[in-house]
Amino acid sequence: MKEITLRVARYDPAVDDEPHFEEYTVRVNEGARVLHALHAVHDEHDPTLAYRYCCGSGQCGSCAVRVDGTPGLACMEEARDGMTIEPLDFPILKDLTVDMSPVIAKIARICPAPDAGLPTQEEIEAIKPLRDCIECLSCVSACPALQVTDFAGPTVLRQEMRLALDPRDSGDRITDAIEKGLFYCTTCKRCLEVCPKEIDVPGKAIEKLREIANRRGLTLPRHQEVAKMVQETGRSVERTKTTFLEQVPEVIEPIGPVRGEVGFFVGCMFNGRVPQTALDAMEVMKRNGIRVIVPHDQVCCGSPLIRTGQTSYVADLKQKNIEAFARRGIKTVMTICAGCGATLKNDYETPFVVKDVTEILTEYGIELPAKLDITATYHDPCHLLRGQGISEEPRALLRLGVREFVEMPTQCCGAGGGVRSGVPEEAKALGAKRDECIKATGADVVVTVCPFCEFHIADCTDTPVKNLVTVLLEGYKKKDAERKGSA
Amino acid sequence: MVLYNAPINKMLVDEIVDAHVLVIGSGGAGVRAAIEASRYGGVVLVSKTIAGKGGCTTMAEGGFNAVLRDQDSVLVHREDTLKGGAYLNDPALVDALTHEAPERIADLIRWGAVFDVTDDRQVAQRPFGGQRFPRTCYAGDRTGHEMIMTLLDRLDATDTRLYQEVSVIDLIKDENGAVAGAIALDRDGSLMLFRSDATVLATGGGTQAYDISTNSAAGTGDGFAMAYRAGAELIDMEMVQFHPTGAVYPYDARGRLVTEAVRGEGGILLNARRERFMERYDPERMELSTRDVVARAIATEVLEGRGTNRGGVYLDVTHLPRERIEARLPVMLEQFLAYGVDIRREPMEVAPTAHHIMGGLRITPECRTTIPGLFACGEVSGGVHGANRLGGNALAETQVFGKRAGEFAGRSPERNGQVDAGQIDEKIHMLDAFLEGTVSPATVRKDLKLTMWNQAGIFRNAPDLRTALAHIRGLADQRLCAASTANLLECCTVRNMCTTASLIVRCALLRPENRGAHVRRDAEKTDPATSPFCHTYASISREGIERREVPA
Ligand SMILES: Cc1cc2nc3c(=O)[nH]c(=O)nc-3n(C[C@H](O)[C@H](O)[C@H](O)COP(=O)(O)OP(=O)(O)OC[C@H]3O[C@@H](n4cnc5c(N)ncnc54)[C@H](O)[C@@H]3O)c2cc1C
Ligand code: SF4
Ligand code: SF4
Ligand code: FES
Repeated sequence: MKEITLRVARYDPAVDDEPHFEEYTVRVNEGARVLHALHAVHDEHDPTLAYRYCCGSGQCGSCAVRVDGTPGLACMEEARDGMTIEPLDFPILKDLTVDMSPVIAKIARICPAPDAGLPTQEEIEAIKPLRDCIECLSCVSACPALQVTDFAGPTVLRQEMRLALDPRDSGDRITDAIEKGLFYCTTCKRCLEVCPKEIDVPGKAIEKLREIANRRGLTLPRHQEVAKMVQETGRSVERTKTTFLEQVPEVIEPIGPVRGEVGFFVGCMFNGRVPQTALDAMEVMKRNGIRVIVPHDQVCCGSPLIRTGQTSYVADLKQKNIEAFARRGIKTVMTICAGCGATLKNDYETPFVVKDVTEILTEYGIELPAKLDITATYHDPCHLLRGQGISEEPRALLRLGVREFVEMPTQCCGAGGGVRSGVPEEAKALGAKRDECIKATGADVVVTVCPFCEFHIADCTDTPVKNLVTVLLEGYKKKDAERKGSA
Repeated sequence: MVLYNAPINKMLVDEIVDAHVLVIGSGGAGVRAAIEASRYGGVVLVSKTIAGKGGCTTMAEGGFNAVLRDQDSVLVHREDTLKGGAYLNDPALVDALTHEAPERIADLIRWGAVFDVTDDRQVAQRPFGGQRFPRTCYAGDRTGHEMIMTLLDRLDATDTRLYQEVSVIDLIKDENGAVAGAIALDRDGSLMLFRSDATVLATGGGTQAYDISTNSAAGTGDGFAMAYRAGAELIDMEMVQFHPTGAVYPYDARGRLVTEAVRGEGGILLNARRERFMERYDPERMELSTRDVVARAIATEVLEGRGTNRGGVYLDVTHLPRERIEARLPVMLEQFLAYGVDIRREPMEVAPTAHHIMGGLRITPECRTTIPGLFACGEVSGGVHGANRLGGNALAETQVFGKRAGEFAGRSPERNGQVDAGQIDEKIHMLDAFLEGTVSPATVRKDLKLTMWNQAGIFRNAPDLRTALAHIRGLADQRLCAASTANLLECCTVRNMCTTASLIVRCALLRPENRGAHVRRDAEKTDPATSPFCHTYASISREGIERREVPA
C-alpha cells in the first residue's frame, strides 16, 4: 500500500455555481489505477463522489476523465501522487460524470442493405482497426477543432469510415462526413495520442474519407488549387521570392573539419516562401561541421495532398524524392519542416533514415551559442510532437540559446490538414487561442520549428515568432560580435 | 397497452412510464429481447448503465458458439453442452440453444456485425474448451463488444424507448400476483415507476458477490434478488463458474479475465516448476479441458505449493508467432502491456476467478418464469448450462433466449390488474431507512465478498457454508446508510448482493454431491450421467433439491 494525494473536480449543479477542486489523501495498492484512487475517495472520504465505471478493464468506455488535463481511461491510467482529476470537456452532470449522449447520438448507425452478404476477409481486416472504439469520447474531449467549430468529433468520423468500408452499409457516408465536419480536422493527431485503443482517426479515417470525397469531386476548391499547383510546378506553395534551391549549391561544405553529412529536404514553404530560415539552418550546419547535400531535383513531399485526400499524384512525388536522395547515396535525410518530416517518416518507405534538424543537432552536439537576452516559449508543431514524437530535443536546444525558457500548454495552432487554406475562420480561431496562451506566458518570442506553424501563428499574434535555427544563428552572431568586441 | 387508471399517487414517485413490454438490462439478452419485442410495440428498456457500456456482454472476449459447418452438427453441440454441464442442464433449453444459435448469429451478421471470416468467406471459428468441433465464432477478442454495438445499431431502428442510468430496485405486482412493472431510481435517486403488461428480466449475472471476479460492476445479481423477493423460483444457484484464468496482479486488477481464447489459440499452462501440469488432470484435452477441471487443477497446484509467489500459475503464449498474438488477442496484449507485461515475450500469471452464475431463474423454453408476467433471459436465468458452462455458450444464450423472451413477452395480453400503492409505500419506507442508516455499504460489500471467496469458493464444505450463511444473514440485517439520495442505489445493490450470496450458499448446502463447478469436499463425487440429483431450487416459499428417477 502507498499513500497518494489527488485533487478531484467536484460539482453538484443543485448547489454549486461552478466546479471546484477538493484534495484527498488516500491509501492505494501498488499498481493502482486512477479508478482505484477514486474508489478509495468514495469509500473512505466521500461516498457522494460521482464517477462512472463498469468493466474496470478498458472495454466499456464509461470511465474516461482528464488526468492532469489529458483525457484517458480511469481504469487503465496508473494513479500518481499529486494528480488532478477532472471530467471530460462536456456538460457536467455531477462531479466527474458528463453528458455523453449528444456525442454518442452523432455516431452513425449502420443501415444494412436487405440483400447484404458476409464481407470478405479483406474487408473485415480493413474495418477492424476502426472498430475497436469503445466510445469513451476521450478523443472528442481533446480535439482542438471542436473548440472552435461544430465539428462532430474524431470518433464520429471514425464511424463514417468504418461504415464506408462495409459492403453491407447502404448509407451515403461521404455526404454525412462532410456535414459532420470532414474538412475541419487539422490532422494534429491529438485524438490518436489520447485514444486508449490507439485508433489513428486522422490517418485511417479522415484522410481516407477525404480521399473518397476527392474521387467524387467533393474536395474543397482551395485544396484543389493546391493539388493543381503541385501537378504543374512540383510545389505546393507559390514562390514569392528567389527560392532556396536557386540560392544554394548542391553541396554545402562546413567551416572546419567535417563531422557528418546529411541530405537536406527543404520542403515547399522553406523553398518558396521563407527561404531565409532554410538559409539560417544551413549556416548552423556549417558552423557545426555538418556537410549538407541538397539535391536540386527534389519536389513537394506530398503532405498537402495526402492530408486533404488528393492522393492520385502522390506516388509520383514519392518516387521523385526517393530517387533524388537515393541516387546520391545519401544515408540520412534531414528535414526542417515538421510536416515534411512526418510525411517522409510515416507515409514513405525510404531507403534512407529521415531525421528532423533538432534530432541531428542533438545527436552531433552543437557549439554553444551566446544566449539571447530574451524570454522564449516554445510551440510544439503537431507534426513534430505527435507526428514524429519529438518534444525534448527542441526544448533542450532552445534553452541553450535564450536567457529564459517558459513552457506553454500544447495545442494545435490550426494551420495543418489544409485548414488554413480550406477553413480559414477555423484556423484563425485556433490561432487566437494560441495567442492567448502566448500572452499568458509573458514571453518575448515564440519559437517553433515548423514553417506552417510559424507563418500562421505570426498572423495571429503580435509576439514575434522565430524558428529555432534562427535563434541559434543569432546566438552565434552575438557570440562572434562579443568576441570581436573583447578582442 | 392500457393506461391502468391506477390510483397511484403521483406524489409518491417522480415519474411514471407505461409500457407494453418492459425490458430490464441492456446487455446482449436485454437488447435482443427489446428488438424482438418491438415488433409488438410499446417497448421500454431500462438500464443501470449507459447502453453498451454496462454488463458483461460488452466485456466478453472469446466468442459465440454456433454450428455453421457441415462437419459439425447441432446434435454434437447439444451433447457437448450437456456433458460439459454434467447433465444438469434442462434439455429443452439446450435444444433451443443449439438449434437457434446459428440463426441468431446470422441475424447479427445481417445487422452489420464484424465477425472474423476465413479466406473462403465463412464466419471463422476457433476451438474452445470442452467442445469436439471448433465452433466458437469471434470478432478478435472483443466479440461481446462487437455484438452489443451491432445490437444497439439495430435497436436504434426500432421505436424502443430507452432509459439509461436508471436502476430497477424491485419488481411490482398487481393484485392477481402478476408482475406489473418495476420501481427504479434514476441517477439522482428520484423514484420512477414503470408499468407494463410483460416484464423481461435481463440483468445478467452476479459474481461481484465474490472478492475475485471477472464481472463488470453491474454484475451484482440484482435480477436474482429482485425476482426472489417477487416470489420467483431460482434453480442451481450453487453452480458458480470459476474461470481458470484470471489475472493475479497488480492487486486491483486481480480476477480480471484472461480469455479462454488464449488457450484456444495454443497457450499452455505451467506451474512454478515449469511443468505442464494439465497432463496430470486431463491428459487428453490438456489446456482445452472444461473450465471446472482446469480451474480446480490450477487451484490444486497453488494449494499444494506448486504455484508462483503471487499464488498463480503461468499461462504462456510466447511460443506463438507475434503476429498471431497481435491479431487474435489484441485486448489481452493491451491489458497486460498496461501493467508492464509483454505477453509476446513473457508468460502471464493466472489464477481462478468467479466468472459466471449458471443458476438463475427457472424458465421454460418460452422464457416464462414461475410468476406470471415475468420473463427472464441471459445470465439471470438458469438451466441452460447445467453445472458448468462451456465457453462461448453464454453469448449464444443471450441471443437465442433474448429473442424468445422478447417474442413471448411481446405477445403477452394486456394485463388487467392494478398496481397497488401499498407496495410502493413499502419501497419508500425502505429507502427512507437507508437515509437514516449507520453502516457504510462499502464495508458490508467488502466483508461479503471476502466471505464468499473464502467460504463458498471453488472448494466447499458444509461447516464453512453454514458459517458463511450465518454471516451473510448478519450482513443483510445491517442498517445500510445512504449519504445522499444518489447513494440509495448503492444500498439497494449491496442488499441484492447479500441476497444473491445467500442464494448461492443455501443451494450449495442443498446439493450433497460433487458435480460440475460445485465441489463439496465433504461429499461424494457422483457420476454426472447417473446422479440421483437434479436441480436445487429456492424461492421465498420453498427450497430443496429435485431427485430424478431416470438418469439422463
Ligand atoms: C469478462 C467476461 C468475458 C466473457 N466472455 C464470454 C465469451 O467469450 N463467450 C461467452 O459465451 N460468454 C462470455 N462471458 C459470459 C457472457 O458475457 C455473459 O454471460 C453474458 O454476456 C450475459 O449477458 P446478459 O445480457 O445476460 O447480461 P449483461 O451483459 O451482464 O447485462 C446486464 C445488463 O443489466 C443491467 N442491469 C443490471 N442490474 C440492473 C438493474 N437493477 N436495473 C437496471 N438494469 C440493470 C446492466 O446495466 C446491464 O446492462 C463472459 C463474461 C465476462 C464477465
Ligand atoms: S487530428 Fe486533431 S483535429 Fe483531427 S480529429 Fe484528431 S484531434 Fe481533431
Ligand atoms: S476513437 Fe479512441 S478515444 Fe475516441 S471514443 Fe473511440 S476509443 Fe475513445
Ligand atoms: S471502466 Fe470500462 S473502460 Fe474503464
